[in-house]
Amino acid sequence: MAARLLVRRIWTASAKNFRLLPAASAASSSSSSHVSSLNTSTHTRSFLSPSCVLPLSSHRCISFNVQDHDDFTERVINSDLPVLVDFHAQWCGPCKILGPRLEKAIAKQKGRVAMAKVDIDEHTDLAIEYGVTAVPTVIAMRKGDVIDQFVGVKDEDQLDSFVNKLIGQ
Amino acid sequence: MPPVEQGQIKARIKELIDTKGVVIFSKSYCPYCKKVKELFAELNVTYEVLELDLIENGSNYQDVLVEMTGQKTVPNVFVNKTHIGGCDKTMQAYKDGLLHQLLGVESTTYDYDLIVIGGGSGGLACSKEAAALGKKAMVLDYVVPTPLGTSWGLGGTCVNVGCIPKKLMHQTALLRSSLEDARKFGWEFSEAVNHNWETMKSAVNNYIGSLNWGYRVSLRDKNVNYVNAYGEFVEPHKIKATNKRGKEMFYTAAKFILATGERPRYLGIPGDKEYCITSDDLFYLPYCPGKTLVIGASYVALECGGFLAGLGLDVTIMVRSILLRGFDQDMANRAGDHMETHGVKFLRQYVPVKVEQLEAGTPGRLKVTAKSTETDEIIEGEYNTVLIAVGRDACTGNIGLDKVGVMVNPNTGKIPVNDEEQTNIPHIYAIGDILEGKWELTPVAIQAGKLLARRLFGGSTVKCDYVNVPTTVFTPLEYGSCGLSEEKAIERYGEENLEIFHSLFWPLEYTIPNRDNNRCYAKIICNKLDDNRVIGFHYLGPNAGEVTQGFGVAMKCGVTKEQLDSTIGIHPTCAEIFTTMAVTKRSGGDIKQAGC
Repeated sequence: MAARLLVRRIWTASAKNFRLLPAASAASSSSSSHVSSLNTSTHTRSFLSPSCVLPLSSHRCISFNVQDHDDFTERVINSDLPVLVDFHAQWCGPCKILGPRLEKAIAKQKGRVAMAKVDIDEHTDLAIEYGVTAVPTVIAMRKGDVIDQFVGVKDEDQLDSFVNKLIGQ
Repeated sequence: MPPVEQGQIKARIKELIDTKGVVIFSKSYCPYCKKVKELFAELNVTYEVLELDLIENGSNYQDVLVEMTGQKTVPNVFVNKTHIGGCDKTMQAYKDGLLHQLLGVESTTYDYDLIVIGGGSGGLACSKEAAALGKKAMVLDYVVPTPLGTSWGLGGTCVNVGCIPKKLMHQTALLRSSLEDARKFGWEFSEAVNHNWETMKSAVNNYIGSLNWGYRVSLRDKNVNYVNAYGEFVEPHKIKATNKRGKEMFYTAAKFILATGERPRYLGIPGDKEYCITSDDLFYLPYCPGKTLVIGASYVALECGGFLAGLGLDVTIMVRSILLRGFDQDMANRAGDHMETHGVKFLRQYVPVKVEQLEAGTPGRLKVTAKSTETDEIIEGEYNTVLIAVGRDACTGNIGLDKVGVMVNPNTGKIPVNDEEQTNIPHIYAIGDILEGKWELTPVAIQAGKLLARRLFGGSTVKCDYVNVPTTVFTPLEYGSCGLSEEKAIERYGEENLEIFHSLFWPLEYTIPNRDNNRCYAKIICNKLDDNRVIGFHYLGPNAGEVTQGFGVAMKCGVTKEQLDSTIGIHPTCAEIFTTMAVTKRSGGDIKQAGC
């Protein structure tokens, strides 16, 4: 267990370092290089994150693990795309069923909606802040506002209609 | 006494009361007056004192005070124009917060009404109750990892490394004997039955994870502020909280409750912390422990050794002297004998001297050297895992208790409290396993914590009753008890004043598999001087917790032998044995059971 935690810590630390470097350089560069550095960062992200299995042609990663509170603000609250936030836990059996179904439902939308995954034991404050009492809890956010949510496992059809509602179809 | 003079004195007293914050009418030699003065000195409150035995007209002052307050004695204490009373009344006012209210310090000075150090069963129950009573409460919880790096979440020992994983693993072992029985009942399945440690461990850990989260959510729902940090006192009303990143925060509170619990004790021999595990590690061990040596004869040792053997592992238990110290020895030995007949080896009268690693691995190989407690004999043995279960130490050494003067038993680290769980420092209380001379049981800590919060903040006077607490040891054959052990009962009442009824019994479920005949045992100890009231209840058999709980209620109600006899049994059960007990231990009669 200790070994597992250690591996995770190293992984998290290196992922953060990789992600922060291009972002820092972007702050002082022109708009064209801003785009390229953004691409580098998201590319790095998809390379590192095991959950980033759906890179699109634009190299944008639409399914990602939230790293910390700032990351949540940047990639969920400030996101241009609507975002599904999947609050899950390693000890939660139903989460393991729901997770892949959510990935599939998101993939069908071809980049019109993103998915943020929050491990509630690692980011307890976020889960507490968003009123999560049981897992899985999925909340739908648009421009920083919670517009819908559900708790528990849903089948694929239900997930599709949940996602469709979020993107306004 | 001329009326004029009395009027002058009255005016003088009134002036004092109206102009000074705290006025104590005292006598210089009176110990109670001294106590009151010390209290205000400790609170850093200046006070005006009139020593009635030293001033002129002192007795006249006293007469006027009687007239004004109805109180003849000293000290006679006034705080901000309010008459408090004597020493006891003042202490009570201090305890229930009235004094602070009158002094106008409480609400403005402290961040919290209550800070609880320790997020175990007791601490959580207490803080939630305080918050439910409208108080601002905080819980500090921090798990210091074991020497091998094992750590866990919110909820304390019971949830993470005690009752919960223990009973689930005990159940895993019971299932194995059920599988063996099943064939005798006609179930047919292939010969190979394997157990997967990793599957069990993950299932148990996952369940615990959900409990950790549940506790976290309930703290939020009850508005208790939770901080995942190590708390230690820096001042009487101020603690330092250090989180896992080393960040320090300071919080103040009017009252504190210590609920830090205990952690496994190590042996202090070469190799113990490097190579051995404790129960804190066992429940999170990522691999099957293999051939295991359990050191110790505590209930933790017997329970862990018991379920490991039940999983089919080679288990040896090294015992220094007796099994289950403090429990009824007749019962303890019967539970041990049962384990021995089911493959657990006992090395009696040995203590380990060193543990060496022969080979690293999961599990590795360890060599244990031990010496006899009676001769010079030295023995060696090779095991995959060595589990130390020689007792637990109270976590009271590094929480700054010395800085605030809380009395701690220097030998045990335990904290003595009065019958209201109050330490020698009036605003600091303690509950749970760290209490001296009290039960180390989760439900006791919960009860004590809840009742304490209600007394502190809800005006209740109900104290925790530590008598007739039922409990169960989950050895392979479970042992449930309530009340006194035979040894304790004899010591307290004398053998001649006791009648002890006992019986062996054979659970119906064991008859077809034809196992454990005349192993299960029931015993009640009755006080002949008190209507044959049951003062000790002992049960060795299946489902001991379920059986003992009900009889625990009966004992709370003061059940007598006659009442047990007039109770109709439920047939066929194990518990019904207690309604038909006829053979006394004194008589030496046959206690083997036969037929219905």
